[in-house]
Amino acid sequence: MTHLPYIVAAYGMTIGLAVILGTGAALRLRRARARLAAIERPSRAERAGGVSAP
Amino acid sequence: MTRKSRRLWLVGGCLIGLGTATALTLSAFSSNIVFFMAPSQVHAHPPAADRTIRLGGMVVAGSVRQQKNGDTPTNQFDVTDGQDAVTVHYEGILPDLFREGQSVVAIGSVLADGSFRASEVLAKHDETYMPKEVAEALRRSGKWDPRYGKPPDAASWNSMTKTATSQDKAAPQHGS
Amino acid sequence: MNATPSLAARTGTFFHRYANPGRFLRLGARLQPWLTWPAIGLSVAGIVWGLFLSPADWQQGDSVRIMYVHVPAAWLASSGYMGLAVCSLLSLVWRHPLADLAAVEIGPVGASVTAICLATGSLWGKPMWGTWWVWDARLTSVLVLFFLYLGHIALIRAFDEPQRGYRAAAILGLAGAVDLPIIKFSVQWWNTLHQPDSITLTAAPTMSTDMLWPLLVCTIGFTFGFAAILVARLRAAVMESRVRTALAMRRGRTETQDDAQDSGPDLSGAVA
Repeated sequence: MTHLPYIVAAYGMTIGLAVILGTGAALRLRRARARLAAIERPSRAERAGGVSAP
Repeated sequence: MTRKSRRLWLVGGCLIGLGTATALTLSAFSSNIVFFMAPSQVHAHPPAADRTIRLGGMVVAGSVRQQKNGDTPTNQFDVTDGQDAVTVHYEGILPDLFREGQSVVAIGSVLADGSFRASEVLAKHDETYMPKEVAEALRRSGKWDPRYGKPPDAASWNSMTKTATSQDKAAPQHGS
Repeated sequence: MNATPSLAARTGTFFHRYANPGRFLRLGARLQPWLTWPAIGLSVAGIVWGLFLSPADWQQGDSVRIMYVHVPAAWLASSGYMGLAVCSLLSLVWRHPLADLAAVEIGPVGASVTAICLATGSLWGKPMWGTWWVWDARLTSVLVLFFLYLGHIALIRAFDEPQRGYRAAAILGLAGAVDLPIIKFSVQWWNTLHQPDSITLTAAPTMSTDMLWPLLVCTIGFTFGFAAILVARLRAAVMESRVRTALAMRRGRTETQDDAQDSGPDLSGAVA
């Protein structure tokens, strides 16, 4: 291939950025989902307990 | 609801105003936004002798002269926009894409004798992309000579791609 | 004047019905695999096609292959900003909470693809034109787009009170939209070093079909990828804001009632 360094740099840059953005978004989504689940579960249990207690 | 539609009108009005202002500014500075001057423009409004300008146009077929003195080659070629031509002198290595019939932009200044001394030459390629076999086939069939301007419409040669490649496969002695 | 309130109202109702955060979470979860997998499949196919199977250009040689990443990046840079401008309008006129969150998330992704567009363009320009960079109208207007993205990213995060950041950034986002037609038409209005577009709506593409197909596959694949990343980030942002609201409510219940307001984008309805 002619101009190989330029082509490799362009594709490497693009693929690298896509991988970084993609995995970043996936990790962030996983963490947010876990935190939301952790927070919503006890509060729901608490609310249910509060209703049934008296 | 009226607050929302008032905001919509306000935003719309601001955008129209901003758009108009931008359009007026751009059209006022239009001559400064152009990246290069064509040879006929250079002849019509000759710039001051020491002012650096960018000259753009097509390299005239048969006008390229190259001399080697020492390491750096000296090049001379004519650049045309179809109406006028300017002779360009350039010392240095030309870009890969430079050829007769190619569009180039030369950065430099006009000398006293009306010729142009470039400090830098950039190749400007057009928006046509085609495989080598198609270009070869077009040239062989006489439909297009790259030294004299743009290739014909893509629709006219897209069907050639298959025939060109199959010809190459059928006659491998043409391939390198 | 008579038709406008109903237009504003109807548009508002439409977005409130189909884009409220809770509904978006359910829709996004269902949509995600339909964006992610085509994105990966088409992008990989397009890159392999463009890098190894498509023909080299007759005069540019193999460096024409940079086109298969440069053109999709350029397309996404512009259309991403278009999306940002639409979010800005929704935010300014209808105060839509999801549009604010979307604007926050589009910024960094759009800035990244614009950077890729500029960098790959530079890597293409050096071997072909003979220069990394020129100040012609096309390149300069895309650089301005990059700075608009950066300004939006900074502005939307610059205020302690998020709502004020959303408003200010939305104004910038809308005003910056005037750059989009300038980018698009720069190669027609002024002579530039950058070549005119090969693919237009009005004329047949000036490109061999052997190069057009991989370019199309790459563009569709990258667009799916952009959408997939955006939807994932936006889902995460909605969840994070629910977490913040829930934490604030809990703190409000255990301590005093009055500090519940300070964390509040109007997403609390989605939690209750």
